[in-house]
Amino acid sequence: MALPQSAYKDRQFLAVIGDEDSVTGVLLAGVGHVTDPPDSQKNYLVVDPKTENSTIEATFDRFTKERKDIAILLINQHIADRIRHRVDAYNEAFPSLLEIPSKDHPYDPEKDSVMKRVRKLFGE
Amino acid sequence: MSGAADREPVFATRQSLGLMKSKLKGAQVGHDLLKRKSEALTKRFRDITRRIDEAKRKMGRVMQIAAFSLAEVSYAIGGAGIGYQIQESVKSAKLRVRTKQENVSGVFLPQFESFQTEGGSDFAMTGLGKGGQQVQRCRETYTRAVETLVELASLQTAFVILDEVIKVVNRRVNAIEHVIIPRTENTIKYINSELDELDREEFFRLKKVSGKKERAAAAEEVKRQAANKAGTDKENEIDEHSVERHDVLGDQDNEDVIF
Amino acid sequence: MELQLQTVHSSTSPNLYRAISPSSITFSMSEGLFYNVANGYVEGIIRGYRNTLLTGQQYGNLTQCENIDDVKLQLGPAYGDFLAALPPNPPTSALADKALDKLVAEFRYIQANATGSLAKFMEYLTYGYMIDNVALLITGTLHERDTRELLERCHPLGWFETMPVLCVATNIEELYNSVLIETPLAPYFKGSLSHQDLDELNIEIIRNTLYKNYLEDFYNWVNTHPEVAGTPTAEVMSEALEFEADRRSINITLNSFGTELSKQDRKKLYPNFGKLHPEGTLMLSRAEDPEGVRIAVDGVHDYRTFFDATGMGQSGGSGVGNMAGGAGDEGKSLEDMFYQKEVEISKLAFTRQFTHAVVYAWVKLKEQEIRNITWIAECIAQNQKDRIGNYISVF
Repeated sequence: MALPQSAYKDRQFLAVIGDEDSVTGVLLAGVGHVTDPPDSQKNYLVVDPKTENSTIEATFDRFTKERKDIAILLINQHIADRIRHRVDAYNEAFPSLLEIPSKDHPYDPEKDSVMKRVRKLFGE
Repeated sequence: MSGAADREPVFATRQSLGLMKSKLKGAQVGHDLLKRKSEALTKRFRDITRRIDEAKRKMGRVMQIAAFSLAEVSYAIGGAGIGYQIQESVKSAKLRVRTKQENVSGVFLPQFESFQTEGGSDFAMTGLGKGGQQVQRCRETYTRAVETLVELASLQTAFVILDEVIKVVNRRVNAIEHVIIPRTENTIKYINSELDELDREEFFRLKKVSGKKERAAAAEEVKRQAANKAGTDKENEIDEHSVERHDVLGDQDNEDVIF
Repeated sequence: MELQLQTVHSSTSPNLYRAISPSSITFSMSEGLFYNVANGYVEGIIRGYRNTLLTGQQYGNLTQCENIDDVKLQLGPAYGDFLAALPPNPPTSALADKALDKLVAEFRYIQANATGSLAKFMEYLTYGYMIDNVALLITGTLHERDTRELLERCHPLGWFETMPVLCVATNIEELYNSVLIETPLAPYFKGSLSHQDLDELNIEIIRNTLYKNYLEDFYNWVNTHPEVAGTPTAEVMSEALEFEADRRSINITLNSFGTELSKQDRKKLYPNFGKLHPEGTLMLSRAEDPEGVRIAVDGVHDYRTFFDATGMGQSGGSGVGNMAGGAGDEGKSLEDMFYQKEVEISKLAFTRQFTHAVVYAWVKLKEQEIRNITWIAECIAQNQKDRIGNYISVF
């Protein structure tokens, strides 16, 4: 029942998709990482109201599917709402997906996809 | 051999009966064990779920405090935030996670653990002239917040994996309980009934054979007696009595035909 | 003579008549006589603006608000049209942006009406913001970002005509050789930063080097320009700039602990004037911990008081940053003390007449007001009411 070690051995980064303040804060904590050139890949995405949903989705897919070095993906809840179908459909153990509150949007457990599953399981 | 009763396609032999019996026993033991495992995991799962619930709420508070410390930074620096500069100064991650495994009832649950890499922060000099202290404090606050998030991520991953594992285990428990055990029992019943049937047939056949043998012996006797008609009548009478005694199968009526 | 003039005019009266009343003529120097010819209107306006600053009463009302909409409503009289475009319950940053817009609009109006040395003075005021903007653009260019996007992020007061041109540069050398030279900040680059430095040095060092050069230049200007030197402007501004210089020196020292900034490099960032200069800054350059900083500033009464009040540099004292150590700690931080002092200096500037310094003071007070509003709004938005009182009221 053990997962193959390769599933998480190289996963050591956190990634974040969020509004400017959330990203800034998390980056301040030192999670930011830019891979070596030429294909400098950042592990964060700043979303402002002008950012297209498709960009968010593409980044979400890149962090969850393509990159094998991300252990945890943080995403602002109000941004997760914009791509809710993707977030709800996401079911993998790695990377772990966490919905975090942002400054202007307090945390709402009702919307969290994991919390939804929790409630569904206990039939509440 | 009808398909109504679900059972294994076996020949009804004593050997396969033995096999089936040991299989049933195995299935029952397996069922008990899995049931216990499932219970243990479910207990753990509920525990984790409760902790996730708590941790998520805690995260709400922690993140709020962290966001607030960022507000302090913008208060100290005044006007335009430091966001852009921070984003652009990112080089390599100082705060990373490593994954450990924890064994819960035979299930390996990954545990994230955050650690700081060597070397100074990319942002040590941010706000050098103004607001630097706030920036440093904000950094500490967010580091703590991220650590909380990492813990939560561990729980959540455990949740996802356990959810999956429990589903598998329960599926197995149910399969054993509702498919394998009844089927094995059915098979045993079938083998037993087949074997009983065979027993009866065998018995009947033996009976028949012995009847036949007796009749043959009797006919022989009659012939012999006929040949020795000259013998005593007394002897004949005794023989008739003995035939009547042996005729447990109730075919006295046939006697006339034979004679 | 100056002192008497001060006592005659109360801080709140932008009364221009008294300036030319017989008694004033007798006592004031000639600059007082002619100041109003060129700058009287502007000074009057500034004093008017000053009177629109939020009062303690208004701050009291603001802190009672339940949500951002209430805050908006309370700010209505002071900010009026500027807040009208905001959506219901706007994010605090939007609120701050709009408040800043008002400051900028007023500043532009004053600037448009300023002539002669006042115009130059106001230009000097904008240089500080320009430094931040240029630092931002340099960061962008270094990382090969589309710098055009960055223009939106620039501080509007630090806007200069050739700024969009900066975006043309695609690498640092180009930026340095052909573009930065055209900006008003060119003299501050000259001599202290080469284009290699832009590439290699931390942007914070560049920023602080520029700022040091700027402060020194400004200080030099107010004390040597024929129209300004010897006037109340020079007097008030010297004090304000000295304070600013000292504040930066102290902050840089405190913030450099635990970073790779060497003591030699650190010393280069201290402005070469101020109350701490030269002994204090020399000691600062040698300081290795907050205790060292405290000893360095011991000679200046104000700063010593700050350090004593915050308990910094003493054993157990840890409250370095704003609001000293998070919730529950009532003590003020050093930064708070500095802001408080800045407000005091600015407030006192209004007790003087015939001086450009009121513009400086007004800008500083207004900025503090915006910070206060943002702070209060932030506290309300994030339910941190227990610390809402940490703003610095002007009146």
